[in-house]
Amino acid sequence: MNVQEGRELLRSWREDNVRRSMDVVDLWDSLLSQDPEALGDEKWMVLEQVAVAAMDVQRRDVVERCLKRLKAEFDLDSIRVRRLYGMRHEMMGDWESALKLYDTILEEDSANSSARKRKIAIHRAKGERPQAIGELSRYLNDFLCDTEAWMELCDLYLEERDYAKAAYCCEELILHNPNNHIYFQRYAEIKYTQGGMDNIEMAKTYYAKTLSLNPDNIRALYGILLASFQLASSNKMPAPKKQEFMKMVMWSSKQIQKRYQTKNAPIDPSRFIQAFVSQPPNGQSGASS
Amino acid sequence: MAFFKAVLFMSLGVLFHAAYSVAEWRYYSRKTDQDTESIPWDIIIQTLAGFLLAMIAVLNIAGEFKEIRATVELSQKSWEDVRNRPSFYLFNHRAMALSPDYVPPSPSASGMGRSHLTKIPDKYLS
Repeated sequence: MNVQEGRELLRSWREDNVRRSMDVVDLWDSLLSQDPEALGDEKWMVLEQVAVAAMDVQRRDVVERCLKRLKAEFDLDSIRVRRLYGMRHEMMGDWESALKLYDTILEEDSANSSARKRKIAIHRAKGERPQAIGELSRYLNDFLCDTEAWMELCDLYLEERDYAKAAYCCEELILHNPNNHIYFQRYAEIKYTQGGMDNIEMAKTYYAKTLSLNPDNIRALYGILLASFQLASSNKMPAPKKQEFMKMVMWSSKQIQKRYQTKNAPIDPSRFIQAFVSQPPNGQSGASS
Repeated sequence: MAFFKAVLFMSLGVLFHAAYSVAEWRYYSRKTDQDTESIPWDIIIQTLAGFLLAMIAVLNIAGEFKEIRATVELSQKSWEDVRNRPSFYLFNHRAMALSPDYVPPSPSASGMGRSHLTKIPDKYLS
């Protein structure tokens, strides 16, 4: 791989929002660190990307080198560089210095969203989840369109096992991008975890929507299988509806088996699924727990 | 690509030639006070042909078309990439212990004294 290819790979990772910090640092070590000047105009972007990746894997030597180069060019007047230095303090576990730096950024530019997000991340890193949730809710009052922040809030609520609020955040994400199958899948999973027949029925509907957006989503197929099976084995369900759900179970299990056959998977799940489906739907299997 | 660039160049030449022909025709028709208002057929055909050729060439040079349905592109995305949030990265995770600079927490901090990790503290021994 030459410098040109390495640069393109890093750019594609930047644009597709891929974490892969270890690979980024390896690429820097093996290829780009000898001559960063060869990167041309993209040099500063790459240096920032490598610095963050190196913080992620705690390669302090790489972090120092990248940050020194950036500081020599832009000085600490640059908010972006100052934020990187704050993140370096976070990597060291020095929360106080990091917070001080972020406060200087916010004094200069009170609408700086990235510094506010870093302060929330510090709360989370220290394990102060309620403070993080409070700060993040206040942040979302100001920046309603930040999908990243909604996702973070969703995860924080999940850690608190507050499924209703997590589901609300997920609804917000769906509104922002109604074509993304992953948000629908996430919403279905939250609803399924929340439990109760109404929620499971809702989960089934959303799994079906996921599948219509992306027919390759195997997780959604398993979701339909599990949700329909639970609904079919519920005692409160009227008989005609039960029949319908059993049909869904049959259909999704067939679909799953078909996917595994066409993809030449090393495991054949048909045996498990057969065993699962052949259980008496309203028996004492405990599936409804 | 090189072929279509040549076609584009040629078609631009054709269009320019057509424009020049119209200017020239207008000049002469005014001078001779002819009443024919419409542009001659050969120039119209030349213009349309040049336009068509230029269109084909540009479409081929511009590169691959993007899918018009948003879901097709999004369905390639995995959960790992969608849920990745660079502005909320935390750095105190397990990769810390794999770094060459890692210093394990000192045993005295964990309340075990300077003894070996697997040693059972005295207070739990009967």
